[in-house]
Amino acid sequence: MDLTKVPTVRRMCPVIFLLDTSGSMDGAPIGAVNAAIEGVLPELIDMSDSNADNEIKVAIMAFDSEIRWVTGDSDLITPQELRDRWNDLDADGLTSMGEAFNELHNKLSVSHGFMKNASGSVAPVLFLLSDGEPTDDYQYGLNKLKQNNWYKVAARVAIGYGDSNDDVLREFTGNKETVLHTNNPKDLKKMIRFVAVTSSRVASQGSSSVSDDGANSPDDNTQNVATAIQAQGGALNADADEDW
Amino acid sequence: MSEFVRLQKDQQINLADGGTATVIGKLGEGGQGVVYRVRLDDTGEEKALKWYFVSNFNNPRKFYDHLAENIEVGSPSSSFVWPEKLTVWNYDAPFGYVMPIMPKGYESFSKFLNAKAYFNSANAMVNAGLNMVSAFKALHYKGYNYQDLNDGNFTIDPNTGKVLICDNDNVMGHGQYSGVLGKARYMAPEVVRGDKQPDKLTDRYSLAVILFMLFIGEHPLEGQKTNVPALTNKYDKKFFGTEPLFIFDAKDKSNAPVPGLHRNAGMWKYFPSFVKEAFQKSFSQESLLSGRGRLLEEEWFNVLMRLKSSIVKCPNCGEEIFMESDRETVCNSHKVKPVGYLNFAKRSNQAVTVPIVGGAVLYDYHVNSASEDFEKIAAVIKEKPGKFGLENKTNRNWLITAPSGKTTTKQTGETLVLGANFKIDFGGGNIATVVVNS
Repeated sequence: MDLTKVPTVRRMCPVIFLLDTSGSMDGAPIGAVNAAIEGVLPELIDMSDSNADNEIKVAIMAFDSEIRWVTGDSDLITPQELRDRWNDLDADGLTSMGEAFNELHNKLSVSHGFMKNASGSVAPVLFLLSDGEPTDDYQYGLNKLKQNNWYKVAARVAIGYGDSNDDVLREFTGNKETVLHTNNPKDLKKMIRFVAVTSSRVASQGSSSVSDDGANSPDDNTQNVATAIQAQGGALNADADEDW
Repeated sequence: MSEFVRLQKDQQINLADGGTATVIGKLGEGGQGVVYRVRLDDTGEEKALKWYFVSNFNNPRKFYDHLAENIEVGSPSSSFVWPEKLTVWNYDAPFGYVMPIMPKGYESFSKFLNAKAYFNSANAMVNAGLNMVSAFKALHYKGYNYQDLNDGNFTIDPNTGKVLICDNDNVMGHGQYSGVLGKARYMAPEVVRGDKQPDKLTDRYSLAVILFMLFIGEHPLEGQKTNVPALTNKYDKKFFGTEPLFIFDAKDKSNAPVPGLHRNAGMWKYFPSFVKEAFQKSFSQESLLSGRGRLLEEEWFNVLMRLKSSIVKCPNCGEEIFMESDRETVCNSHKVKPVGYLNFAKRSNQAVTVPIVGGAVLYDYHVNSASEDFEKIAAVIKEKPGKFGLENKTNRNWLITAPSGKTTTKQTGETLVLGANFKIDFGGGNIATVVVNS
């Protein structure tokens, strides 16, 4: 008998980043984003390897004047694959957030999008980063997205940088506690990593269900992330030389 | 609500027993808190410190007191990485507890499931099951229940099958509830349905899930029926709560493994009938829907001992197999059946048998009804052309009675030539009968 097993069947836990790469992100901000994404990948690899229930897969969309799936537009890839082929993002152009939402809506589909997976998928993480006003009709895309069932169950998080319109970000997450803001590129790097790791952990590991939890619907992963962010309050540890 | 504050290297922490510990570095981080490596300042010993995200608790003081109680009552067995000391209670401030550092050489059970760690033998894999069952027996005997049993709690030595159980914070005394219901896929259906709080009986369900995943590498309830694209909590409730169905249910095949997807499901065929029956009983509709028929830890222990003693080399092809005692075993394209088996008195209503095949091993467990030692070898079955022998590796004399009435004694190192219907008295009234297969 051969008792050597193949990896157990795991569900996919998609972690999808929507990153604003408009011209205003040029310089230190896009540098921070690049460093943060590269830095978070080893943590996602480890998190996925040690999880026997769900496998983390990632997709990255860069949106400026155009929309581009950096990780390819047919499938999500593993954090390891992304690390092996990562190229820094450049910043240029406008902020087509409405188009980004519309494209995300299209991809959040089993029949013609990213969600096709033989062993099924759990609720995804949707991570939005922006530093400015949308330059197109964001409502159009967001309204479509709001009808999407994957969007509804997703853990939705957002980070606003500099002149971002955080009202739009809050509209996207539907929960003001999962929108964080910073004006400092150093903080931005840490914040991206912190939010990406926390939301991926909540979505991929699930929280152990708690019985006296009356307030939150158990399906509300966005609120679960808000609670996790809150619990780690002082987690964005500063170095001694860091500016406020 | 108190704010979580991360600890810094060299920071000194006050312990409840008056001692102090100094932070050396970070070991890991999870949903409940951060684990640091610390040094106890009085002894210099290195330990792990779990430092909680306190705002996760509705009532931090209650949880702190609960940990204090578990420290006082003590660890159920050496398999548990048990809390040793608490940090001081300081109203509104974070707290944590000190525990042993995980030794090297152990791999998380999740890594075994993800095929990033492998057992070096079938024997080590079965040992892991025996160690898990023993640990939970000790836990339940001590009046505790685990409540949040899942794959993340176990780390295993791939060479020996030794098991360490971590994250014991939610272990509760009988009738107490931590408030944690458990992890999806591992929670008992009645807990998923909201009918019941976790207890000893729901622990037994979770333990059966863990054992099934250990041996088969698949989840017992995930098959054809659960193969849907979106696995949200609504579906979890259905598949693991209201409409659960075992993938190898004896009557209903509608949730059978999906070929090409559940690729480890083929392991099932290697296991002897008594193991299959134990799982079919554990995941029967009666067990899943009304909690009836789940195996007690001692029942599992006896089933797994029988499995351990069934590990032999196939007499036909030499490949390692789990050999049935009283019926045919399919090995590759041929079938094999032993000439007979040693039959012991049942234990906790489970049959105890060892197939008579060269290389089969008996342990202290077999020759001593009070023993649960599955490592100390008591006897081995040997084979010569035309005969089988049983070598005495104990330090006691065996008294053998043949059907003719003739008796003989075998001392340490001597080998008894086995004959039909011999009764072998290993001492203390522990007798095996040689049963010949037809």
